[in-house]
Amino acid sequence: MTKGFSSGTALHGISFEVQRGEMLGFLGPNGAGKSTTMRIMAGYLAATEGSVQIDGLSVLEHSLDVRKRIGYLPENVALYPEMRVNEYLYFRGRLKGMGGRRLRARLGEVKSLCGLHEVSGRIIAHLSRGYHQRIGLADALIHEPELLLLDEPTIGLDPNQLRAIRSLIKTLGQRYTVVLSTHFLSEAEMLCERVLILNHGRIVASDSPAVLTSLLKNKTVIVAEVAGAHSEVAAVLRGLPGVSGMFWNPCRNANDNHPEQEWNRYVLECNTDDDIRSGVFAAVAQRGWKMRELKLERKKLEDAFAEITGNVRTESK
Amino acid sequence: MINIFTLLRRQFLSYFRAPLGYALIIVFLIISGLSFCRLISQSATEPFQIGDILFGSAYFWLILLATIALITMPLFAEERHSGTIETLLTAPVTDLQVVLAKFTAAFAFIFVMLSPTLCYGVILYLFNADGGALAYKPIAAGYLIVFLISAFYTAFGLLMSSLTRSVVVSAILCCIGMSVTFLAENLQYALHNVWLERILAQISSVQHVVDFSRGIVDSQPVYFYLSGTVLFLYLAVKSIESRLWR
Repeated sequence: MTKGFSSGTALHGISFEVQRGEMLGFLGPNGAGKSTTMRIMAGYLAATEGSVQIDGLSVLEHSLDVRKRIGYLPENVALYPEMRVNEYLYFRGRLKGMGGRRLRARLGEVKSLCGLHEVSGRIIAHLSRGYHQRIGLADALIHEPELLLLDEPTIGLDPNQLRAIRSLIKTLGQRYTVVLSTHFLSEAEMLCERVLILNHGRIVASDSPAVLTSLLKNKTVIVAEVAGAHSEVAAVLRGLPGVSGMFWNPCRNANDNHPEQEWNRYVLECNTDDDIRSGVFAAVAQRGWKMRELKLERKKLEDAFAEITGNVRTESK
Repeated sequence: MINIFTLLRRQFLSYFRAPLGYALIIVFLIISGLSFCRLISQSATEPFQIGDILFGSAYFWLILLATIALITMPLFAEERHSGTIETLLTAPVTDLQVVLAKFTAAFAFIFVMLSPTLCYGVILYLFNADGGALAYKPIAAGYLIVFLISAFYTAFGLLMSSLTRSVVVSAILCCIGMSVTFLAENLQYALHNVWLERILAQISSVQHVVDFSRGIVDSQPVYFYLSGTVLFLYLAVKSIESRLWR
């Protein structure tokens, strides 16, 4: 689908499928088109060209049928602040065609799933943002949808709320088909089986987080803090087998943040999965230099994201 | 139908969850009550039609129209501003159902606000100096035009609210539109155009109120307000739908 606004084109002919039971993550920088895609899928906006089909039904042509099948949590969870939690969820359930015993039973289920029992009688305006997210999720779930669309469900949450909501989404992933858009790459890596990376309205990568990470040019990074003549140390480390790039900076004193006289921190980028720390240690020890830290860091989805969307680290060999 | 009732109930109750709803009703009843008392006391010395006593006060109309602007301004503008419009319009409800529910809720509020004024008719009946039967026709016709005008401006306010995300802009647009049509008769003197004068005389609410409150029920204003209400609601639906292609 393609989506144009008066201000420009937000989506340029993107196309993707989501399988039943899958948890798909949308990643992308601000303005990449994640929320626009979500809104089109939810039936709030229409694509300028192309269409979305959910369960074989066109979102625009069978709008009401599709809406019954999806649960949508928008980017900014907006609720009616004057209502009580119970009352709001009951209202949303009624709006989604539920009633009677089924709605009452379902209310109990979603409140317990989203941890809302203790606040069910309280006015929404008096609750924290974390609870607002939970209420939004409970609303999205109340009619037992087949597909959950969650647009930045953890944005603006404190670390405790973040953990709780992520754990809830992970639980939901076992029962529902989920499409999740997020800014947090670690979140996508932790929750999603497959990620789509959007950049400037185009899909630039689509695969599992593990596969995307393995495609990186530099797969691992070795960090070493060495005391010695900088030009010699740099030349030796740069020449080690498997090192494709290196940058360095002087170590800083932990107390006053001033550069330490002889200690430097070297970051070696490696184009191999092999652990070359023993080689680094041997090279340093052989020359009688001092070493106080040596660690290996495997690159993450965050690095794949930066590389794919063009924000690669500028410091290099 | 269940969807409309569910939405209507939420919207209607929302007026009473904040002090604004109660304040509007109290202020309206105080002002309309005071102007009723004033006209009653004036009627002792000057001849007054019963409809003029009930519906002839400028204060009555001023506060009624201000209330319509205040209760219609948040209908869509507030939903857009807060973002609740997104969850509302992605629920399995049609845009028409949403518009009808919001219109009915606002109109029901006006109905609730106006209903205590029926006691003015009862007072006139009980204290009818002539001791004869009260003229019901001007009262019934007067209430008919009050409700028709209320429905017309409620639909207009709802349309204005659907065009913007600012409740203040919505209220201003609504007030401008209401002033122009309500006082259209006064504009004709400034325009000096025969056709425009005729059109303005036709749409001027002041003249309609005067006629109806004297028991003259003309079908033309009835069609005008009903068709205007339907037109504004239709345009409001199109305005909400426009999110899809904008």
